[in-house]
Amino acid sequence: MEKKSVSVTLEHVTKRFKDVKGKSDVIAVNDSHFVIEPGELVTLLGPSGCGKTTTLRMIAGFELPTEGKIYIGNEEVTMLPPNKRDTATMFQSYGLFPHMTVFDNVAYGLKLRKIPHEDIVKRVNETLALVGLSDYGDRAPSKLSGGQQQRVALARSLIVTPSVLLLDEPLSNLDALLREQMRVEIRKIQKELGITAVYVTHDRVEAMSLSDRVVVMKDGFIRQIGSPIDIYENPNSRFVAGFVGKAAFFPVRVKKQEANLWTCQLGEKEVVVERATTDVEVGTEAVLMARPESLRVTEKGKGKIEGKVRMNVYLGNSMEAFINTSFGEVLVQIDDPHAKKVFEEGEEVSIDFTPDRVRLLNENEA
Amino acid sequence: MFTKKRILQFCTAALIFLLADFWMYSTLSSDFRAYEAERNFNEIELFAKTVPDERTAQDFAQWVPTVKDIIPGARALYLAFDEQNFNFIAESGSETARALFQAYNSTPDFQKAMESVYYLEPMKLGSTYQADYSLDPDTISADTIRSQVYFVPVVDETGYQVSGAAMILVPTSTATGYSNLLKTLFIAAAVVFLGILLVLTFTRDPLTGFMVLGLFGIVIVFIAYPLIEAIRLSFMKDGVFSLQTWKESLSPTYLVALWGSLRLGVLTATISTLVGFIFAFLIERTRFKQKKLMTTMATMPVISPPFSLSLSIILLFGNNGLISKQLLHLDTSIYGLGGLTLVQVIGMFPIAFMTISGVLRQIDSTVEDASLDLSATRWQTFKEITLPLSVPGILSAWLLVFTNSLADFANPLLLSGDYRVLSTEAYMLVTGRSNLGAGSALSFILLMPTLTAFLVQRNWVAKKSYVTVTGKPSTTLTELTNKPVRITMETFSWIFLGFIASLYLTIVAGCFVVNWGIDYSFTLANWGEALARGWTSIRDTVTLAAIATPIAGLLAMLAAMLIVRKNFPGKRILEMLIMTPYAIPGTLIGISYILAFNRQPLLLVGTGAIIVINYIIRELPVGLENGITALHQIDPAIEESAADLGADVPTVFRTIVLPLIRPAFLSSMSYTFVRSMTAVSAIIFLISARWNHLTVLIFNFSENLRFGLASVLSTILIVIVLSVWALMQIVVRDDKLTQKTISTR
Ligand SMILES: Nc1ncnc2c1ncn2[C@@H]1O[C@H](COP(=O)(O)OP(=O)(O)OP(=O)(O)O)[C@@H](O)[C@H]1O
Ligand SMILES: [Mg+2]
Repeated sequence: MEKKSVSVTLEHVTKRFKDVKGKSDVIAVNDSHFVIEPGELVTLLGPSGCGKTTTLRMIAGFELPTEGKIYIGNEEVTMLPPNKRDTATMFQSYGLFPHMTVFDNVAYGLKLRKIPHEDIVKRVNETLALVGLSDYGDRAPSKLSGGQQQRVALARSLIVTPSVLLLDEPLSNLDALLREQMRVEIRKIQKELGITAVYVTHDRVEAMSLSDRVVVMKDGFIRQIGSPIDIYENPNSRFVAGFVGKAAFFPVRVKKQEANLWTCQLGEKEVVVERATTDVEVGTEAVLMARPESLRVTEKGKGKIEGKVRMNVYLGNSMEAFINTSFGEVLVQIDDPHAKKVFEEGEEVSIDFTPDRVRLLNENEA
Repeated sequence: MFTKKRILQFCTAALIFLLADFWMYSTLSSDFRAYEAERNFNEIELFAKTVPDERTAQDFAQWVPTVKDIIPGARALYLAFDEQNFNFIAESGSETARALFQAYNSTPDFQKAMESVYYLEPMKLGSTYQADYSLDPDTISADTIRSQVYFVPVVDETGYQVSGAAMILVPTSTATGYSNLLKTLFIAAAVVFLGILLVLTFTRDPLTGFMVLGLFGIVIVFIAYPLIEAIRLSFMKDGVFSLQTWKESLSPTYLVALWGSLRLGVLTATISTLVGFIFAFLIERTRFKQKKLMTTMATMPVISPPFSLSLSIILLFGNNGLISKQLLHLDTSIYGLGGLTLVQVIGMFPIAFMTISGVLRQIDSTVEDASLDLSATRWQTFKEITLPLSVPGILSAWLLVFTNSLADFANPLLLSGDYRVLSTEAYMLVTGRSNLGAGSALSFILLMPTLTAFLVQRNWVAKKSYVTVTGKPSTTLTELTNKPVRITMETFSWIFLGFIASLYLTIVAGCFVVNWGIDYSFTLANWGEALARGWTSIRDTVTLAAIATPIAGLLAMLAAMLIVRKNFPGKRILEMLIMTPYAIPGTLIGISYILAFNRQPLLLVGTGAIIVINYIIRELPVGLENGITALHQIDPAIEESAADLGADVPTVFRTIVLPLIRPAFLSSMSYTFVRSMTAVSAIIFLISARWNHLTVLIFNFSENLRFGLASVLSTILIVIVLSVWALMQIVVRDDKLTQKTISTR
């Protein structure tokens, strides 16, 4: 299959749904504006109901934006019906044609394109081989396992060599092990073919491990766009920080800023922080965000936050310590626990961190 | 979607088209008017040449009326030239023309015309005049009609001198037929163009838009328009608005018929519900063998052709009936309320049975077990639990049967005797007295109770159902009856079914009897005669039903897809309009169809098309409901996948939707076929010399006491219907099996 890579552009796209009773509107997507580069895999990540599926369906053409425009490559496709767009969607429920065999399912798109029969047979067999289903052509979809059905759906989408592949939680019906395998497989094929892909999920691990970039959404708004590292390390809001990983939040007061060093009041102590979002201002309240692996447990009085160990959970390669502090319970991850001093449950301890491993967030952001 | 730019674009294009359309129309119609006038002029000159050689007053009086042979509807008046006073005097001819002449002869127009006639120049007056044609004995209309006035000279023997003149009136309405047609065509063109434009400008998927538009077109022309026309005509008398028709319809004579309909409805509904409940309870709540047989037998009457049960009742209990006369020598008559209730109950209890058993089936019998556990007696459990839970089902059943009884037409036609009901009364008015307005008014009166019952059933009772679908039908069934009660019910049911079976057997027997009631010897002669006289009807009926069947099936499924899967303005209205024929009596549909389609451009009365269209329209609702239910069970992602892979809407419909809802499609088709074969209430108004219907023929034979022939045709009809039905059952059952194995994940 030849490579063809195009970009996908959403230009201030808004989608409102009429409420069931037609009274008020539901804003499913609010002024989405971003570009997906050619060959890139972007995930839409966010809690249930945040508008991920709606965004995807607008790109596929199943929903019409209330406002804004959508481009595939340089062509505006906002008004184009799904059958006229060069996209292929993999649905959460697969949407396999139950009255056709696996072969006919995969061949469907080619038959519509009036391709000669011999070519169809050849290409279907190639594609089935690609997803590892060579021997299953004659089966009915209902006689396949979940993972196999999922691969049929993938083959059916890929065979028409779409410019854009759209995947709506394609792995959510699979068990954990299969999900991991398929995730790797999808990424491999996507990279090989250089297809631009949009992947919807609410599973942050899936989003992190799969994507070139992640779009984090909430209540129809895009909260942050960035590479997995970026959104994990440099979240721009408390919501993103909390959604993409575990984090502890401490209320602070920003006292002064020198170059990129921020001095804040944390309880009784004064702490210095190296990283902050752009909207943090001196003299205001802010939030200090710390990932569990960025925190350290030290002896009482030696760190920045005092507390008491409530519980230690041993995980093999690491240990999680739950520490009660005056700011609430704080989770600290201790890597390679055997090499370190472990504090017993009930022991008074102190939590410490280095200025470059924590981040200041604007307090007003949810 | 509705951006400013598009609206502007739409308005501009619409304006340009409308202007062009109007311009073309006015040019064409004025051309036509000019041509018409010219032609009339020529004809009138021709007429003037036929002036009699003998020129007595009597000859003239005979001559002038012959103008009608040259121009239909025209009237002429002979004016004698009075040389003394130098003017024209009305002499003989049409009174209409005379009145007009008296009224206007001193106007400048007339003076000028007479002057020109004096100089032997024929003349057409510039303006038209209202003439009252009812003055003539051969009235063409009770209304005054705008007429063109012509004057032609009549010369004396010398050929140089005017001796008189003919004044000729030509009603402009002779031309209006054509210009109306022209007008309709141009309006239709505008509507179609605007529709297409609307779709092209404002939708992104024109194919769907066109399909929606097409459906709207169909329902507006073939459902809304006839009904509106029927309403309109019931408010008209002699071309003007009048409440006369309604006053008549609400007079005591017809209120008796309304009362008759209601009484019959209540009786039939109550008894049918009772019988239906017994059957449903037996099937769903007790254990006995032959449940399948009982269910099949008890549902049979639903597809039985009209007249067949009545016919059989007449054969057995009529004035010359086998049982009433030959065996019991009774003198009571089966005609009237009693007989009607009997046949209606037999014909309609299956509706109650199916409705109630649908509800009973869904009541989890563990609820009953729980009650029994709490040491309630079985009778208490039935009274306190089962009965209240099935109340919505019982009410539904009652209302459905009530609606059906009121709309029933065939049985009262044969069996009502002196008992009067509205549906047949409307039919008598239309066929006996050609009073279409009153017929439609009566049907509307009939519509009130049926529509009320239908809406109550739909919107209230059906929603009030307490049924909790647990998903797991419990396998064990605790019997609520003790043995004697069950045996009694079972015996009753079998006897009832046996009676029904014997009714059908009577019809079969009727085929082989020389003259039922008089001569019971065996013969095959009925077959020969019935086939000879009924063959074309059989062929026509089957042909028309076979044409309607696939169209109705496809349309219903397409409409279902559009309604379930697409969003478009007016969706509710479309659905409601398609469902309308389900709730209104066939009589009303039949009458409204002859009212609406008896003139250009939709002159359909007398064609086979009107019958086919009627079949389709009447059976669409059930197909639509089947389709909608089926589609709701299909994951929309399947169709979306197909669209996503490049299939346009028709392709998705053909390759995905239709195969997936095949059972619904097939059963709608078989339903349409069977119902069309057995239709009567609307069809009886629409048949013509060319296209007869088997059921109507059966009715005619029965009415003329040719029971042998009626029996043969009924038997043939029953056999056709049963075989199609059985065939479809087999196909659909197979289909469901395959469906199950491939669809569910
Ligand atoms: N057809 C519709 N009509 C009305 N509201 C809708 C429709 N589709 C979606 N919504 C609403 O739009 C919002 C966003 O829905 P969407 O399906 O995009 O969420 P999502 O992010 O995919 O959620 P999930 O993770 O649960 O799939 C929700 O509030 C939903 O109720
Ligand atoms: Mg979703």
